[in-house]
Amino acid sequence: MKRVDLKIVLLGKEYGGKTSLLERYLYDHFHGDLPYQNTIGAAFGAKKIQLDDKQITMGIWDTAGSERYEAMSKIYYRGAKAAIVCYDLTDSSSFERVKFWVDELKKFEEDCMIYLCGTKKDLVQEDRQCRKIDYHTTTDYADEIGANLFETSSKTGECVRELFTQIAMDFVNKYVPSSKEKNEDLILESPGKKSTFCCSS
Amino acid sequence: MSSKSEPAHRFRRANLLHIPESDLLCKNGCGFYGNPAWQGYCSKCHKELYQKSKHSNVPELKSKYSRRSPSQTSGESPDSSFLTFSKFEEKKRHQSEKRAKTIKSIIKRTSTFKEAAAHSGWKEQRHMSFESQKVNRDFGEFLKTLREPAAQDVKKHIHVLIDRVQKYTDRSIDEASELIQDFYQAVGERFETHPAFQGASPDQVEQLMNFTEKYLMTRLYKVLFGQISTEDEEKDLAIQKRIRSLNWVTAEHLGSDIDDKHPEVRDLIDKAITDIIEMDSKRAPQDKLSCIVRCSQNIFNILHVCHGGPASADEFLPALVFIVLKANPPLLQSNIKYITQFSNPSRLMSGEGGYYFTNLCCAVAFIENLTAESLNLSQDEFNRYLSGEAVPPGGYEQNAFLCEGLRLMYQNLAALSDLRQRHDKLMAEALSLREDMNKFKDTITKEVDLVLAKTPLIIQPYKIPPDIDLKVLPSVIREHVLQDRASSTWPTDVLLTEATLVDIENDQIAGQQAVEDSGCPLSASDIFIKQASSLKPKPEKVTHVLLEPSTTGTVETFHKVGEYSLDLGEFPHSHFVQM
Repeated sequence: MKRVDLKIVLLGKEYGGKTSLLERYLYDHFHGDLPYQNTIGAAFGAKKIQLDDKQITMGIWDTAGSERYEAMSKIYYRGAKAAIVCYDLTDSSSFERVKFWVDELKKFEEDCMIYLCGTKKDLVQEDRQCRKIDYHTTTDYADEIGANLFETSSKTGECVRELFTQIAMDFVNKYVPSSKEKNEDLILESPGKKSTFCCSS
Repeated sequence: MSSKSEPAHRFRRANLLHIPESDLLCKNGCGFYGNPAWQGYCSKCHKELYQKSKHSNVPELKSKYSRRSPSQTSGESPDSSFLTFSKFEEKKRHQSEKRAKTIKSIIKRTSTFKEAAAHSGWKEQRHMSFESQKVNRDFGEFLKTLREPAAQDVKKHIHVLIDRVQKYTDRSIDEASELIQDFYQAVGERFETHPAFQGASPDQVEQLMNFTEKYLMTRLYKVLFGQISTEDEEKDLAIQKRIRSLNWVTAEHLGSDIDDKHPEVRDLIDKAITDIIEMDSKRAPQDKLSCIVRCSQNIFNILHVCHGGPASADEFLPALVFIVLKANPPLLQSNIKYITQFSNPSRLMSGEGGYYFTNLCCAVAFIENLTAESLNLSQDEFNRYLSGEAVPPGGYEQNAFLCEGLRLMYQNLAALSDLRQRHDKLMAEALSLREDMNKFKDTITKEVDLVLAKTPLIIQPYKIPPDIDLKVLPSVIREHVLQDRASSTWPTDVLLTEATLVDIENDQIAGQQAVEDSGCPLSASDIFIKQASSLKPKPEKVTHVLLEPSTTGTVETFHKVGEYSLDLGEFPHSHFVQM
């Protein structure tokens, strides 16, 4: 079995729900549920998932979102294969900051796949008034930068697993040459790769 | 060498040792100072020269290398590469021992040239260090679990590499890094594809990779780290100085809510600081990384104590910056560079160690580029604090906590004030208790007085059953009874059954005659008897000693009238009269 490491960075404004997202995915619980948890910190998490014949170890890196550490963020996403840029659906300023990170990523880490992630969806569902960021604005932006868009709720767990699974699948399709193709997408991709390989050799 | 203060510093040193300044300058005349270890050039000129000669004249260089191999040079007078090397080690030791450049260390350091000159063939005398021995053992043990050809193969490759690196100390650190990184890659591929390793499970391969790295780097540590710490000495000192000048920064400035006065937090901060300082003493990159991880875990513990729930990166990074500022770890830049260049790259890209190492790099970058803005201070304030002109409020106290003696003093002061408080409380309570007791006494006295005033003691005639056997009566009352009997006619049935005399032990009284008595020395019943005898008995109102007021005056039943002793010789025992 092949083992692959995948580095994912979480970017986003502070208190924008990055940590909750990570916690929901890693331990499947929500911060607000219990007053005390066993986990003392959720800044880094590793999770293994199985895709076809490959075992992928996802290392998920939380980053400090405060503006004073902005200049340092490129140290974090060096070598990252995927970045989840979080924004708070109830906070319009958080989406402005998304643009900053996306630009940075495009500039310094071209190969990094970008995933936009709107958080705190449960709040928006409870009260429509809470939504400060228009869905269509975000989808337009996502199309423009070629990113996937997810709206998640760490409280209910909505879309969280899907987001990470999607990242893992995209990663496998993009970076890991597969020996036995089961996935349709892979069949489409690999002949192309192989042919270029043959030509060059 | 590039900083402006450095030449001035050296000038002072030069005067001290009476070496003309011109001798110290780079032979190239670039204005920087030269070094005998670099053939009298400054580091940059030497590097350039070396690069040039390397490109233009490879065979010559090769002969230079062979000349420098330890087996040949051991008997000869030491050449420059030796000096460089022993100097590295000396320097490194000095830096870990003393952070500041003291005169002592300067003299000592320069004297090593002479020492090294006298001390040729050091390599033969060098024994394997404690760390190397340990890792050698561990590695050997692990290799035993592998199959023979595999173990042999790994061993052979590693030793070839160690020899290569150790022989050519002239190699730049980047080249050495490249060599070792290539080795990691080659070995990693070999473990996966080579037939000798076919039977190994993925876990075993991973372990093998770890051990290879650990063994290799422990053995090569002195050579490589010495070189790094010499080249990056300036940077190390710069960051050290920078951190020292920022010693006034509090957790608040960094936007962190660490409460460093809390004793539990203080302990954890100490632990975190110890861990990060310990990093310098470890050899293998993974050991250094595990120090960082331990430090980080302590930081999470700190954050957990400070504000409950789990901490996120938003809180972690400021806390790490704070710890780095307080710890001022030795040779920070060199350690970071060493880890970056000689660690297995996959270790830094994934896993906890890599994550926290990245955070450390961030923290260091943040400290280097720290501005007034990033601490939410005005430029003026920031400059004043930085120059030491002013101390931020509470800053002095906070730093005092880092000094063991002062901290002990503060702890004791806290304990003393606590004791004092408790003592004060005790005193206050004792006083109030006294007051309460006095009050209680007063009230009781008052109440007793009141009761006494309300119900004056009225002694009523003593009543004697008419048909009582005189023999059982104490002699004191006997004559009284006789008198009574003589003077009045008693109703025969009055309280006859109620009156009982108990506890007559002395039989002698039975024979005694009743005698008139009017003044017996009894304490409680004294008055009673006296008064009783003086009063005329009123049969219908006969009663006894009153303990409680009886307003009706009718016959009442008392359970216990009193206890009195008849202290007359014949009756030594107390008598209980129950009616």
